[in-house]
Amino acid sequence: MANKTELLEAFHKVATNPAAQLKKYTDAGLKVVGCVPVYTPEEIIHSMGAVPMGVWGADTELKESKQYFPAFICSIMQSVLELGMRGTYNGISALVIPSLCDSLKCLGQNWKYAVPGIPFIPMTYPQNRNNEVGFQFVKAGYNRVIADLEKATGLHFDDAELAKSNEVYNHHNALMRKVSKLLADHPEITAEQRSDIFKSATFMRKEEHSELVEQLIAALEAEPAATGKKIRIVTSGILADSPSLLAILDENNMQVVADDVAAESRQYRTDIPQADTALDALCRKFCAMGNCSVLYDADKTRADLIVQMAKEQKADGVLVVLTKFCDPEEFDYVPIKHACEAAGIPQLLIEVDRQMNNYEQAKTALLTFKEMLS
Amino acid sequence: MAEEVKKTRPAPDPNSAAYKLNQIVARHYKEVAEAKARGEKIGWCASNFPQEIFQTLGVKVCYPENQAAAIAARGGGERMCSESEMEGYSNDICAYARISLAYMKDKEIPEQNMPQPDFVLCCNNICNCMIKWYENIAKELNIPMILIDIPFNPDYEVSQEQIDYVSGQFRAAIKQLEEITGKKWDEERFKEVCAISNRTSRAWLEATSYTKYDPSPLNGFDLLNHMAVAVCARGTVEAAEAFETLLKEYKQAVKDGTSTYRGEQKYRIMFEGIACWPHLRVTSRGLRDRGMNMVATIYADAFGLLYDDFEGMIRCYCSVPNAVNLEKARDNRVDIAKRTNAEGLLVHTNRSCKLWSGFMYEMSKQIGEKCNIPVVSFDGDQADPRNFSEAQYNTRLDGLMETMDAQKGGN
Repeated sequence: MANKTELLEAFHKVATNPAAQLKKYTDAGLKVVGCVPVYTPEEIIHSMGAVPMGVWGADTELKESKQYFPAFICSIMQSVLELGMRGTYNGISALVIPSLCDSLKCLGQNWKYAVPGIPFIPMTYPQNRNNEVGFQFVKAGYNRVIADLEKATGLHFDDAELAKSNEVYNHHNALMRKVSKLLADHPEITAEQRSDIFKSATFMRKEEHSELVEQLIAALEAEPAATGKKIRIVTSGILADSPSLLAILDENNMQVVADDVAAESRQYRTDIPQADTALDALCRKFCAMGNCSVLYDADKTRADLIVQMAKEQKADGVLVVLTKFCDPEEFDYVPIKHACEAAGIPQLLIEVDRQMNNYEQAKTALLTFKEMLS
Repeated sequence: MAEEVKKTRPAPDPNSAAYKLNQIVARHYKEVAEAKARGEKIGWCASNFPQEIFQTLGVKVCYPENQAAAIAARGGGERMCSESEMEGYSNDICAYARISLAYMKDKEIPEQNMPQPDFVLCCNNICNCMIKWYENIAKELNIPMILIDIPFNPDYEVSQEQIDYVSGQFRAAIKQLEEITGKKWDEERFKEVCAISNRTSRAWLEATSYTKYDPSPLNGFDLLNHMAVAVCARGTVEAAEAFETLLKEYKQAVKDGTSTYRGEQKYRIMFEGIACWPHLRVTSRGLRDRGMNMVATIYADAFGLLYDDFEGMIRCYCSVPNAVNLEKARDNRVDIAKRTNAEGLLVHTNRSCKLWSGFMYEMSKQIGEKCNIPVVSFDGDQADPRNFSEAQYNTRLDGLMETMDAQKGGN
């Protein structure tokens, strides 16, 4: 069994080099299907024998995508298109794009013309989801994805295989929730290392990632509780994986003790329940999901959840990492701010995008925040 | 999509369509205020929420989008956007939403008031931003929200699955609204409302189609103002009659060779996007100074829904301009541009509207190619005056004019 340092290095290697993962899988003769945020039915792709890989863009300069997007569309969409046009995703069999926000709808439409070599598979989710018509509409969407995947990959869908994949994903969900909790008691793990653990999950088959996470959990549990206290923060946002941002957190002795980040824990909150068929079960999972800026919620329970997480983890503050031009998150920020204020929890908003070179402003804001929390 | 913003001309003819249409908007606000004063529950409603539901129930609603456009046209956009930004809303958020979220707190403003809501009716067939905006109103005011989710359709045709999903929500929304307001659904009244709505839509669509004549009997910008009625009163006999009057006037104008467009109509253009309400005068003058008339816009069709039955109605709401894929959206526009003989396409890259602008570069390019017309765009905003430059607008119009001239010379 690998030790903690080796495991953290393994996560880092995958998180920072998805191209190597793509090559590894395609060299092995496997089909790879890109999964654009925020939620795609990875389980279906997995069950068909293909590898679902997360496509969240990259910190890169935008050139080609400017032919398609005006400047005020979020940098995740822009950089996904940019990388597609540059050929970074060459080798994948298809790209699944859900239309959970307005910019995602546009990404799918632009993709067809900007990257004609990689088929676009739309996934249309219902917002009124926790009822029978919503369930039927998720199912129609998944059936359409299945048909498109069969066409794009030549692979076939089998409900019995999906049942196995559902188990793989539920197991992984449980491990991710467990490791997140455990990490809250391990201040020696840096913000960057924590990010690597989550980010690597999007570039690996879940059974492989689970194996590493299980080993890490065992290594952490075998250690005595670490001494030394850091400033405990809960992060919230779509993405919080910028190395510059994580370095600022680490330099300032800040520990992420829980997160409400779409690319991190939001993926693992909801398990697949039991149902008549594995596909029905997967649909029921989506129907049960919530607490996310792109899932309709007039009660804004997400704001309450963040407060609850902060209280449970005895966090000193909440850091909202806002992806610029992400309007669902921009709308949610105000209720989150109100909920934190009502609970007496300090919060800070910092705006980031994937073309940001200068983090001085973020650094200054975080220094002030640190002084306030210390 | 706001009420008349131009200075009222002296002694308006009470039998004219313009007078009737203005009266409908004024009465609309008054009626909602009166209903609220009587103790009835009133709502705030998204512009493309199926109006047949509350018209049938006899429930009064008002439209934050219309209000925000009116506020912006009357100069209040920047002040109210800034108020929302002080509250924590990013200045990247849709300016209609920022204005509305500020109004929810202000309650009384000089530009355009409306009563505070007891519930909100949301439909996202124009954008998902509507959901977030209405969620925040519902949460802040602690009032119920009814959402009819009409997802963006990635395919050319509306699927039966989508119709079933939306139909189910339509029925659920009726029950929710009955519970909130205590009013009862009447199937006969529903049929009546549908018939009136179709009559209004038919007159509206026929009237707007008169831009096909050369010269056009109307200044295309007139439609942006009349649209408020198509939004807020489609299910009323008064609106049907007013649009029928408008249609009669256009017919007569074609016969007489007159037009509400002042000056010679040298160029026929298609305008893409929501109006720049804070700069309506400047944008309109820019066109007029160059002899350009807007003869085509998808926006006019957005609120003209024709259907034969319940499923047809649902299909209409699933097919509004911002709910359809690039190819369908493109073909709808190509059809309008060809029908009206548009010679150029002017695109408003509207910072407030990510969905409308997010695939417009590619779509407008394709429209230009299919219709063999030049395409230019300018940066602006539907309600935040800070995102528009008059100099850029005029330069782009000059560019469009030069290319249209070159094409005319070449042909």
